[in-house]
Amino acid sequence: MEKQTITIGLPRALLYYRYYALWRTFFQELGMEVAVSGPTDRDILERGTALAIDEACLSLKIYLGHVAALVGRCDYILVPRVSNFGRHRSMCTRFESTPDLVRSVFRNSGQEFLSYEVDEEQKKDEAAAFLELGRALGRSPKDVRRAYKLAKKAQAAHYKARVQKYEQQYRRSGLKVLIAAHSYVIEDPYMGRPVTDYLKRVGVIPLRADMVDRDGALKHSRELSSTCKWEISREILGGIAMHRGDVDGVILLSAFPCGPDAMVNELIARRVKGVPMLNLVLDSQSGTAGVETRLESFIDIIRFQEGKL
Amino acid sequence: MSEIKTRNVSFPRYAEYNCAFKYIVEQALGCKYVMPPALTKHTMELGTKYSPDFVCTPFKTMLGSMIEALEAGADTLLMTHGLCRLGYYGELLEQILRDLGYQFEFINLSEYDMSKKKEYIRIVRRFNPRVNYARFLVQFMEGLRMTEYVDEITCEYYKNCGFGPSDGQYRRAYQDFLTAMYTAQGRADVEAGYRAAKRALQSIPLSKPQRPLRVGIVGEFYTAMDAFSNLEVEQKLADMGVEVHRWMNVTNQFLRYGSGQKNLRVKVRDLCQYEMGPTSTANIWYARECAERGYDGLVHIKSAGCTPEIDVMPVLQNISADYKIPVLYLTYDAQTSDVGLMTRLEAFYDMIDMRKKVL
Repeated sequence: MEKQTITIGLPRALLYYRYYALWRTFFQELGMEVAVSGPTDRDILERGTALAIDEACLSLKIYLGHVAALVGRCDYILVPRVSNFGRHRSMCTRFESTPDLVRSVFRNSGQEFLSYEVDEEQKKDEAAAFLELGRALGRSPKDVRRAYKLAKKAQAAHYKARVQKYEQQYRRSGLKVLIAAHSYVIEDPYMGRPVTDYLKRVGVIPLRADMVDRDGALKHSRELSSTCKWEISREILGGIAMHRGDVDGVILLSAFPCGPDAMVNELIARRVKGVPMLNLVLDSQSGTAGVETRLESFIDIIRFQEGKL
Repeated sequence: MSEIKTRNVSFPRYAEYNCAFKYIVEQALGCKYVMPPALTKHTMELGTKYSPDFVCTPFKTMLGSMIEALEAGADTLLMTHGLCRLGYYGELLEQILRDLGYQFEFINLSEYDMSKKKEYIRIVRRFNPRVNYARFLVQFMEGLRMTEYVDEITCEYYKNCGFGPSDGQYRRAYQDFLTAMYTAQGRADVEAGYRAAKRALQSIPLSKPQRPLRVGIVGEFYTAMDAFSNLEVEQKLADMGVEVHRWMNVTNQFLRYGSGQKNLRVKVRDLCQYEMGPTSTANIWYARECAERGYDGLVHIKSAGCTPEIDVMPVLQNISADYKIPVLYLTYDAQTSDVGLMTRLEAFYDMIDMRKKVL
C-alpha cells in the first residue's frame, strides 16, 4: 500500500525568509510535500490583524494571517521556537513564544502544528532539534541526518549566492542606499518590497545590510555595539560597519513597533555619523504614497549633498 | 599615596527594592549609595524626552531616574542584564546619557558573561578593589534577606490593607517598615524592622468579610511591581475592598527560581509547551492558579511595547474563557492617566462584585 504523503505548511513570513531553503530541502528530502502560503496581500494582513493582539508588531500580524491561510490545507504547519544561538546571539523573544502563541490563537481550528526548538544556551542546537523533528515525523535517524545535512548545504549555497549577488552590486556605479532591515520586513511584498521597488524605479541601487557574510558581520557588529544581543540585529550592525563607506545613504527600515529595532536603530542613529540616514517605520497603512514621499525627499537630500541635483 | 576614591553608586528606582540596593552597596561593597529621588511626573518627562519613541516604558522611567540620580551626585551607575530588551538597556542608556554630556562610570552587567562565577568577582572589584570578601558575602546575603522581607511584607500588606481600620493604621505600619528598611545599617536593624512590622500588621484588627473579592495580579516584571509605574493599581484595588494577590516579585522570580522555572511549567504544559519569554511561565502558571483557586478576577499589567507580555495575552485569554475568570488588561505608557485607570478599575470592580453576588 502506498504511504500517504505528509504535507508541511510553511507560513511565508518571519523566519521563512531566513530558512526557506533549509526547510524546503529538509522536508522534501524526507519525502514530504511543502505548502507555502501565498505572498502577503491585503486579505492576509486583515486576517492576521483580526487574530493578533492590537499591540503586536506588524510582522506578527502578517505571520498570523499566513498561518490562517494555511489552516486546513496541510497536515502540519511548521512554527519553530528559535530562542538563541548562544550568548549575545538571541532572537527577539517573539520567536520564543510563536509556537505557543500560534497554538493558543488557533486552538479551536483542529489544525496540527509542528515545532522544533533551538536554544543553545540550554544546550539545544539546531542539528539536535531537526533530528528530533524528523523522528517525530516517523523517519529514521539516518534519513533525518542525511536530509538535514543536505538541507544545511542547500541553505548555505543559497545564501552564499545571494550574498555574492549583493556584493557585485557594490561595484556598480550609481546612487547606492544600504537598507538595514530584518529579512522578513524587506522581502515582504506588503512591507519592504514597495520600498525597494520604488528605489529601483528612481534609479537607486538598494543594498541590504543583512546580506553579508554572517560570521564576519557578527564580528564587525562589535565595532558599533558591544553588547547587542540579537542575532539578526548584529548581522545588520555588522553589515553597516562593513559597508557604510561604500554607500551614499542608509535607510533604517522597521515594522511598527519592532522591539529590537526600536533600540538598535536609535543606537545606529547615534553612532553612525557622516552618512545620510532615514528612519522609516512601516505601519499597516493601505497606500505607499506616504512612504514614497519620504523616500523621494531622502534621495533628493543625498543628490543635493553630492551636488547632483 | 594614591587614595582610592569611594564611589557614589546609584541604580534607578525600582518598586521598593532600592532599600536593598542601598544596603548592599553600602554594607557589602563599601561604597556610598545615592538614592535617586522618588519617581514623579518629572522623571517620566525627562525619560520620555530623550528615549526612542517605541521602546518599552521602563526604559524611559529608568533613563529619567538615572538622570535624576546623576544630578543628585551619583558618579557610578549600575545597569542589569536581562532576557528581553532589558538586556540591551545598558548600552543604549549609557549612550544617551553620554550624548547628553553627563560624566560617570557605567557598570553594565550585559558586558559580563553572568553564567561564569569569576565574572562576579570582577564586577565586585570594579565597585571597590579593596572589598573585604568575607564581609561582602555576609552583607550581600543580608541584603537578599531584606529583599525577601520586603516582598513578604508587601504581599501581606496588599492582601489585607483594604480591610484595615479607617484611620490608616495599617498603611502606616507598612510605611514604618519601609522606613526601617531604607535606614537599616546592619543585620540587627533589618531583623528588628521586619519583626516589628510582622507584629504590627498582625495586631491591627481587620474587618474582612467571610468571602472577600480576590484579584490576582500578573504581568511584566517592572510595571506590575512598581507602584509609581502602575499608578498604584494594587492600592486602588485594595481600597475598593479587594484582596490583592501578586506572586511576581524578586523573591519568587529570582531567589527561589534561579535558573528557569521547570517546576512551574509542569502544571501549564497543556497551555504552553515552551518557555514563552522571561516571565511568561510564571504568569501563565499563576493566572491558572488564581483561576483554580476561585479568585474573582485577574489584572494583567504591562508597559506599552512589552513583547513577552503581549505574547502571553492569547494564553491568558484562553484561561479566561476556560475558567470563566474576568481579566482586565492594562497597558501603561508614559501618558497613562490616573483618571482613565480609575474608571476602568471601578467598572472592573462593579463587574466582579456583581458576578460574585450572582454566582
